[in-house]
Amino acid sequence: MHYGKNYTSIRLIFLFLSGVMLLFIVAPLLGLFFSTSVPGLFETFKDREVTSSIGLSLGVSALFTILAGVFALPLAYIMARKEFRGKAIVQGLIDIPIVLPHSAAGIAVLGFISRDSALGKFADILGFNLVGSPFAIGVAMAFVSVPFLINAARDGFQAVPERLEQAARSLGASPFRVFRQISLPLAKPSVITGLVMMFARGMSEFGAVVIVAYHPMTTPVLIFDRFNSYGLDYARPVAVLFIIICILVFIALRLLGRKRKET
Amino acid sequence: MLSCRNMEYSVGDFTLRDFSLELERGDYCALLGPSGSGKTVILELIAGLRPLKKGSVFIEGKDHTLTPPQHRPVGLLFQDYALFPHMSVYENIAYPLNIRGINKIEVWETVRTFAAELDISKHLNRMPGTLSGGEKQRVALARTLVIHPLVLLLDEPMSALDAPLRENSVALLNNVSAKGITILHVTHDPSEVCTLANRRISIVP
Repeated sequence: MHYGKNYTSIRLIFLFLSGVMLLFIVAPLLGLFFSTSVPGLFETFKDREVTSSIGLSLGVSALFTILAGVFALPLAYIMARKEFRGKAIVQGLIDIPIVLPHSAAGIAVLGFISRDSALGKFADILGFNLVGSPFAIGVAMAFVSVPFLINAARDGFQAVPERLEQAARSLGASPFRVFRQISLPLAKPSVITGLVMMFARGMSEFGAVVIVAYHPMTTPVLIFDRFNSYGLDYARPVAVLFIIICILVFIALRLLGRKRKET
Repeated sequence: MLSCRNMEYSVGDFTLRDFSLELERGDYCALLGPSGSGKTVILELIAGLRPLKKGSVFIEGKDHTLTPPQHRPVGLLFQDYALFPHMSVYENIAYPLNIRGINKIEVWETVRTFAAELDISKHLNRMPGTLSGGEKQRVALARTLVIHPLVLLLDEPMSALDAPLRENSVALLNNVSAKGITILHVTHDPSEVCTLANRRISIVP
């Protein structure tokens, strides 16, 4: 009896604490949605500056996610399959962008692409200025978000039994064919989850992007700009619109995760 | 036919020293030994899945010591059968044929022939996860045999099977052996190979 009473009190405390936590997440979002009128939202949707910023955020993030995937997937595979001296250091390097303040990450990326850098000088010879370009935005987005892809893909590759790769080798498959036809398809749900996470994290990046390119404006920078220049009421509809898009991406991510579990 | 000379290998605490083996064409050799004695490692060394530290592997007089696994005339049946879970039974059996660039009609005919021979024709559209242990073994065997290996390596092929299925498996391996393929069968259970093997080698840890 005593045990049962104690259990009930703990359950109530846990339910209360969980409720507060959920409210903490949901309340600001609900407040934002309720204080934005539907006509205002439609007006914002027609605003070319807003739509082009959304297009830029989504497009650049998607492009750099795909580009990063070409390099990130082999690295994730090596991290899953190979044991080597200094592996812990390499893993630490991969995780660095997650722990860096994003403004500091932006400064680091700026140093990498500025006119004084080797890459910047090379671009200058070709007649390009990387700072303030969609390229700079993409590099900043990729820098802060690529660890999500590498780590998710690494977990996916780790879950593929090495036996299956050995079986394919013994049946005549080259190492690349094994990667393409056995490892990658079996790790696909994790890889897709990683790609979606990287894409979502990249498109919502503000701190690093604002340092390398205030213009052209991505949506997070536009929200900041409108808030700074005109106030909360002017920034709010843009924020709501972008949150809706982020939530749609998040739902897609959850659906893919569920599909992965079923598989 | 299969000649392993002075093979040496070490991994972790395990060390294989000076292991040699000579098999003639059509031999059915049982490699006996307790768990941890390195039987599976020997098969993987012959298949090229592990690099030899010392020694050599000759098949039909040709030195395959440095040949990558995909180019060795060896078939390896894994203990857990290692069927590809994202491919159907048909796709699993056709996999090594597709790698070799064989045209689709020929692949289809070959798969049908081997499936009929191993009594798995009705399972061709099923996924490996839905098969019983005995069915999985037959699929894995078909997948290995379609490449016509000169040497067939069997890693504890009956360990995952119940007693009635083991009898079927013995009959199946007898049929494979009758084709003249050289077989090296690894097991910890001597009774498993008493009617199959014409040669026995015991290794100690």
